[in-house]
Amino acid sequence: MAAQPRKTWKKILYENQGFPDHYVDESFLDELKKNLYTREYEYWNIVKESGVVTQQLCSVSIFVMVFILMDVKLLAAETLGYISVCLTVLGYIVNCCLPLKSDKTRTYLDDMKTVCIFAGFSYCLSPVLVSLTETIATDTIYAMTTVMLIANLCFHDYGADAEMVSGVLSLNSGLFASVCLASRLHTTQHSFVAVTFAVQIFALWPALRRNIRQAIPSSHVTMTVTFALMTVVSLTFISMTAAILLIIIIVFITFVCPYWLITLQPYKNNIHGPWDEAVITD
Amino acid sequence: MRHHICMVCDFFYPNQGGVESHVYHLSQCLLDRGHKVVIATHSYGNRKGIRYLDNGLKVYYLPFPVMYNQSILPTILTTLPLLRNVFIRENITIVHGHSAFSTMAHEGMFHARNMGIKTVFTDHSLFGFADASSILTNKLLKFSLADCSHAICVSHTSKENTVLRARIQPDTVSVIPNAVDASMFVPDPSKRHKNKITIVIVSRLVYRKGMDLLAGIIPIICNKHPDVQFIIGGDGPKRIILEEIRENYQLQDRVKFCGSLRHSEVRDVLVQGDILINTSLTEAFCIAIVEAACCGLQVVSTKVGGVPEVLPPEMIKLAEPSVKALVVALDEAISDHRAGNVLHPLEAHERIKTMYTWPNVATRTEVVYDMVQTLPHRDKRTRINRYYQCGPLAGKLFVIAMVLDLFFLYILQILLPEKNIELAPDFAQQVNKCA
Repeated sequence: MAAQPRKTWKKILYENQGFPDHYVDESFLDELKKNLYTREYEYWNIVKESGVVTQQLCSVSIFVMVFILMDVKLLAAETLGYISVCLTVLGYIVNCCLPLKSDKTRTYLDDMKTVCIFAGFSYCLSPVLVSLTETIATDTIYAMTTVMLIANLCFHDYGADAEMVSGVLSLNSGLFASVCLASRLHTTQHSFVAVTFAVQIFALWPALRRNIRQAIPSSHVTMTVTFALMTVVSLTFISMTAAILLIIIIVFITFVCPYWLITLQPYKNNIHGPWDEAVITD
Repeated sequence: MRHHICMVCDFFYPNQGGVESHVYHLSQCLLDRGHKVVIATHSYGNRKGIRYLDNGLKVYYLPFPVMYNQSILPTILTTLPLLRNVFIRENITIVHGHSAFSTMAHEGMFHARNMGIKTVFTDHSLFGFADASSILTNKLLKFSLADCSHAICVSHTSKENTVLRARIQPDTVSVIPNAVDASMFVPDPSKRHKNKITIVIVSRLVYRKGMDLLAGIIPIICNKHPDVQFIIGGDGPKRIILEEIRENYQLQDRVKFCGSLRHSEVRDVLVQGDILINTSLTEAFCIAIVEAACCGLQVVSTKVGGVPEVLPPEMIKLAEPSVKALVVALDEAISDHRAGNVLHPLEAHERIKTMYTWPNVATRTEVVYDMVQTLPHRDKRTRINRYYQCGPLAGKLFVIAMVLDLFFLYILQILLPEKNIELAPDFAQQVNKCA
């Protein structure tokens, strides 16, 4: 086509430069950049960060354990009620003592009001709850609960800035699971306590964990280890298989996945260029 | 060489937009150059069947159901019988698809290739590579372009983008910019405000056009320059944040909204302004800045996509897409204006008039058609191979689609043989003969 281009080609459209339209210049794709925003990961750092996933997994395990204990009548509704009230009060005090810089205007009275409204409503509605799913097969309920708990784990806000993170969806699926399970329990007290406990472990506990971590970052590893050990040990009393499975999963999440992430990193091939949609920075 | 061209695109009149007017103007200029051009699009409401536009431009409004954003439902096979009929009736030698978003263009080109007709595709937009929707669209584009004879892009950046997305050879892609009908954008300095500097925005008010940037710029500029006013033409979901800014900073008398504009009304808004600001976050060509420059306005724009290629440096000020950089560029433009250090509107108009014209686009497209027509026909084996190489899973799916389409075509040839399809008379040729 253009045998010996005399002038140098410029990347412009407003002038006829004498080159054929399908001319490909040497500068073609010069502005292409690869892997601009790739992060270098450090193994032990990811291992530490993976603790948030382990903690949520343990929360779900504890919730299921409590249900099983209540279902086989090893755990009285009153006992669980006392325990969870104590833990909540303790957690609330810890949360208030944390040196957090927050500008929220919630008073203690507001918190008390919320607690009263919530407890009142769930207490009034628990008779409905206990007979809610009588016509549904227990297997269906268990399957539904499993799906909901998996959804809770998938959408939980682990601190990643991703599309699929949705704290609301996660909390809702957790609560839905608890409602499903509560409706399988024997008395109204049982289902009331089950729902209350679910709120504590799916709504309050993750928030408290986040606050503690923000205030005292060094506590993160200790807390993960303690919490995981506690869960595994208590699970051994219920089912050895489940306990071993949990250990395998935790090891997988904590040690294998970070290694996997690092080995997969070189395969990353992300291209950037002038055609990318600009991101507004200020 | 006289070509029989069928433009296939979902987007056409009565719909309004850049692609629509491109297809229309290109077809008109090709008709003027003696080619035969028909357009195939889907039906718009009551507008079904065959219509004739200016100059005897024949448009087939085919009854395909619209699914999303004026695109038809992608079914791969069901459009074959009607499109085959059109291609045979009109004795088509080249099928020219427009816009990566148009399902009908992709399907039309796919059927055409299976019928042994050469195809050309014009890509009007830029895509990223990161999000799920663009990954999917890029796969489809790969399918469409794997076997396409030639592609046309509207800017060099767009060409790079298309080559990367569809993994095709860069020398099978031509760059032919868009054009403006300069007679529609004649400057009229008397319409300008004598004592004020007017900054115009003509754009859909959506995120991709950078309306969040604009919302940051307006109060700063209004605060700095008491003699500056804004006119905003266009409508969209982001209008609300601009109106909020106007309320918050008490700028009701300095920021004017015109609402959504028809293409014919754009000029009347543009001539009132001294400066046009374009805050797009991504843009393949940006016809808006050419139209503004054609009306004699100074242009300030974000430096994204193909925008830096479009206008010579003395007519445009480029800035990085941030509020700070855009404010600096606007400040410069305002002080240039005060100092009278700008091109005269009529002079700018004269320059643009010869820069981007439709006859030029048509001549250059014709070169592509000639080139395509001399290419040898690909046999089925090569074509299957090309599809197969599109990806481990996608490649196999593409081959299946092609084989199915060929099989369907075979059945159609038995049920509705080519000789039973009545050929449409070619009026233009008869006229030429008479003359």
